[in-house]
Amino acid sequence: MSTITLDKLTKVYPNGFQAITDLSLTLSEGEFLVLVGPSGCGKSTALRMIAGLEDISSGDLYVGDRRLNDVPPKDRDIAMVFQSYALYPQMTVAENIGFPLKLRKVAKKDRLQQVEQAAQVLELTEQLESKPSMLSGGQRQRVAMGRAIVRKPALFLMDEPLSNLDAKLRVQMRADIAAIQSDLGVTTFYVTHDQVEAMTMGERVAVIKDGVLQQVAPPEELYDHPDNVFVAAFIGSPSMNLYEASLSATDSGGYHLRLGDHQLAVSPSVMNTRPGLAQYVDQPLVVGIRPEDLEDAAVAPEHPSDQRISAKIEVREALGAETLMHFSIAAPTVDSGDPDALDELGEEDTGRCTARFSAATRARVGDNIEINVDTDHLHFFDPTTHKAIRS
Amino acid sequence: MKRTTPLSRFGLHATLAVLVVWSVLPFLWTFQTSIKFTRDVAAKEPVLWGYETTANAYRAFWLDADDVNMWSVLLYIAVVAAICVALGQTGRRVRHGWPWFAAVALVIFAALWRFPKIWEANDEYDFLINSIVVTVLTMIISLSIGLLAGYGLARYTGISGAVILIIALGFRALPRTAFVLPYFFGAKEIDDWLTRTGVGSWDFPLIDFPGIDTLQILDTRLAIVLALVAVNQPFTIWMFRSFFMEVPKEIEEAAMMDGATRLQAFRKVIIPMMWPAIIATGLFTMLLAYNEYLFVRVLAPTEWTLPVAIVSLTGGESSRTITEAAAASVSITLPIVVVIILFQKHLVKGLGAGAVKG
Repeated sequence: MSTITLDKLTKVYPNGFQAITDLSLTLSEGEFLVLVGPSGCGKSTALRMIAGLEDISSGDLYVGDRRLNDVPPKDRDIAMVFQSYALYPQMTVAENIGFPLKLRKVAKKDRLQQVEQAAQVLELTEQLESKPSMLSGGQRQRVAMGRAIVRKPALFLMDEPLSNLDAKLRVQMRADIAAIQSDLGVTTFYVTHDQVEAMTMGERVAVIKDGVLQQVAPPEELYDHPDNVFVAAFIGSPSMNLYEASLSATDSGGYHLRLGDHQLAVSPSVMNTRPGLAQYVDQPLVVGIRPEDLEDAAVAPEHPSDQRISAKIEVREALGAETLMHFSIAAPTVDSGDPDALDELGEEDTGRCTARFSAATRARVGDNIEINVDTDHLHFFDPTTHKAIRS
Repeated sequence: MKRTTPLSRFGLHATLAVLVVWSVLPFLWTFQTSIKFTRDVAAKEPVLWGYETTANAYRAFWLDADDVNMWSVLLYIAVVAAICVALGQTGRRVRHGWPWFAAVALVIFAALWRFPKIWEANDEYDFLINSIVVTVLTMIISLSIGLLAGYGLARYTGISGAVILIIALGFRALPRTAFVLPYFFGAKEIDDWLTRTGVGSWDFPLIDFPGIDTLQILDTRLAIVLALVAVNQPFTIWMFRSFFMEVPKEIEEAAMMDGATRLQAFRKVIIPMMWPAIIATGLFTMLLAYNEYLFVRVLAPTEWTLPVAIVSLTGGESSRTITEAAAASVSITLPIVVVIILFQKHLVKGLGAGAVKG
């Protein structure tokens, strides 16, 4: 096992379409890295280039010091789990898992023993003699995993391995895969379009859009300090509320954030931690508010009254531990560029807003309420480059 | 739920009954003729019931001969053994109906045990052997080419692939008769060249077949096989292509990630998935080769296969040969019927998957 280096990998198809542009990533030994992005962003292409199933148009791929660009898939020492599992239908589970070993001419006795071991790890011992067609989705998924782990490769590639499972099983398999991966300590490159999967499984998460890498960071950092508008909106569910806004100085030396009709007092600490923000005073900018940074003022009355907005509740989703509220504020929303984002209400100009209130809220649909905004946790972005404004 | 009234059900069944009678009647008539005495066959009014039965016609066709041809006996035994092995193998691959295949093998072996005693060199046996050789060789060659070409054309989606497929379809659409004469003259040209240059009379130590002095194309099984393979190829290619299209590309890719070369992936993963396709396409090819009349008649004036031999029996005036021809027809149809019944499931599947019929 060794580090995996992607150096400016680029994929250009014969028809001129550029699927991946200058993708550079380094996976340290035993790391679980998740590549996440909306559908059609080139993440599967990136994976297939690493696997050797697609040619690399330019750039280099290294495992340790070995350059793999022109090595055929079978000699790359890389195992892959496919979205469709791609089990061999005519072989039993044991034969499926043992196939990579058979190709490597491992003696039958050792092979059976290793298959047995893998089956134990994956809880497939009872199914070893069944054909894939007799298995449930979760079991098939585990067989595909078994085929990958049995040969102890330098790198696991996983191409949306959970997307064909139902929601409950997905949550369980998510934990199982993460556990198996950390047990085996094999470097893993995992591709998904599901940001929840990315956040829960990855040690680091790489966000990609239109073939261009946006940000690579541990999940918490990605969530708390997104580099740009796309990452901010893509990571987190419900997603961050993004509006065009402007910042202006007040007579008393403080600052006000003008958000449509609303005005929010911005505490000095906000300006101090983001020195770059000073240049945007009296300029347009993009502001992002996470749903959990909004709270019903009736629940938390101690919050400064100049950091509130008022709105009329349109939709209420009680989830038990928390309640999601949907309402509109009169500020123009910003398009994050995520092609998968649903335009639920279809009303472009009335700034849609989602808030995550505590379950203690008494607000009902149709109520006009005051909403606290935690201005310390606001996110600011440049309106043209969409890059985060920090230092 | 389908809505069926008693009337519509009656109509359906009646139509099916008529169709069954319509298709089975000729064969029943032939069978009846084969077990009648000549006088009943020659009677002015057809004798449909209560006639005396006899196996004379079968005996006349299969046992009427002078001396024993040991080479044919050995070849026959080898072919039968090969068929048994092949049946056993497919039985294992398909993983159902083991007892079926075992039973067939037993029957064939029983026949074989009895065979040397009744074997008497007789043209009919040469024709039978010709039929078997032509059928088996045609199947092996056209299935091998069809598998590789079908796989290639299923995976390669460029414009030249489409052109090849369209051309194949065009050749499939042309009438048989359009091919016969070119093959005949082509083979004749080669034979003329072989005679003219003397290459045909060279002594090839390794292929010194008994009874063959000079090398030639025309009037050999080789000519028939080559022509049948060529005619059948568009069908096998299209058939295999449509089966290969159903095999997800990921399965091959998974095999390659698991450490297989492209060829290993094809051989160890894809081919085993293709057995139903191979069996179905093989059956259609077998039917084509076994039943072929026109090509054999033109390309092989004396090296007949059974269908041509049977037709030669019906040419005479004597009604004795009519019963013999009927007996021969029944004899050569039965093995095919058995095979079709055994592989019926695959045949229907093949019809459903392949866009073209054999």
